[in-house]
Amino acid sequence: MKNPLAWLLWLWISAVIVGAFFYAPLAQGFIGESSRILFFHVPMAWVSFVAFIAAGVWSLLYLYRGRQPRHDRAAAAAVELGLLFGVLATVTGSLWARIMWNAYWNWDPRQTSIVVALLFYAAYLALRSAVEDDNTRARLSAAYAVLGLAVAPFLFFIMPRIMFSLHPQSVINAQGKVEVESRMVQVLLAGSAGFTALFFWVHNLRCRIQALSDRKSAL
Amino acid sequence: MELGGSGWIVAVNLIIWTGLFLYLLRLGKRLREMEKES
Repeated sequence: MKNPLAWLLWLWISAVIVGAFFYAPLAQGFIGESSRILFFHVPMAWVSFVAFIAAGVWSLLYLYRGRQPRHDRAAAAAVELGLLFGVLATVTGSLWARIMWNAYWNWDPRQTSIVVALLFYAAYLALRSAVEDDNTRARLSAAYAVLGLAVAPFLFFIMPRIMFSLHPQSVINAQGKVEVESRMVQVLLAGSAGFTALFFWVHNLRCRIQALSDRKSAL
Repeated sequence: MELGGSGWIVAVNLIIWTGLFLYLLRLGKRLREMEKES
């Protein structure tokens, strides 16, 4: 076994999948087994947020630590993966909403804010594809991603809390307390940790692919 | 195992996750080879 950490991650996420169905109890007030999807929806939304914040941090490093292309590549890869996880969180949330609210989409503040966040970061990719010069593209997109350090926390955590929402309370509620059954919290935290590790693994692969591609096109 | 039951969904999830995992492992291996070559 050449990659013990990778295999540990396989075991970890497999345990989360099994735990979501056979260890965690059903949440009260949810129809049928619909609460099971939250063990995947919440970690995906969390990873999306982590990815967008990481993109901002790598962009700061790019701007203030010698304009190294690897920091630009890391920021761009983080936004791509943040969008992927954000779309998956939105889809899983919509499936859950169909069961609980009888509609896939009803412009709940939580749904609206995630869509605005996804559009904000889709615009980041549009910006990157619109600029041809490598240095200008990296500088402009880094400045945009740094702006995201303020936008992402507002859209993920503040806006859904200051408006009336049908969305269930977060694991850590507005009063800063955890009022979720302990076995559910364990699976949610394990899922979030596992998905975060998966994000950094895929991010590393994506950056290395881009580095090889850049090296090849420079020849 | 009941079709559409919890056991069935867990099995499908585990197959998808294992497939993705093996793909990522293989991609990492291929990348290491390409990095050595270049």
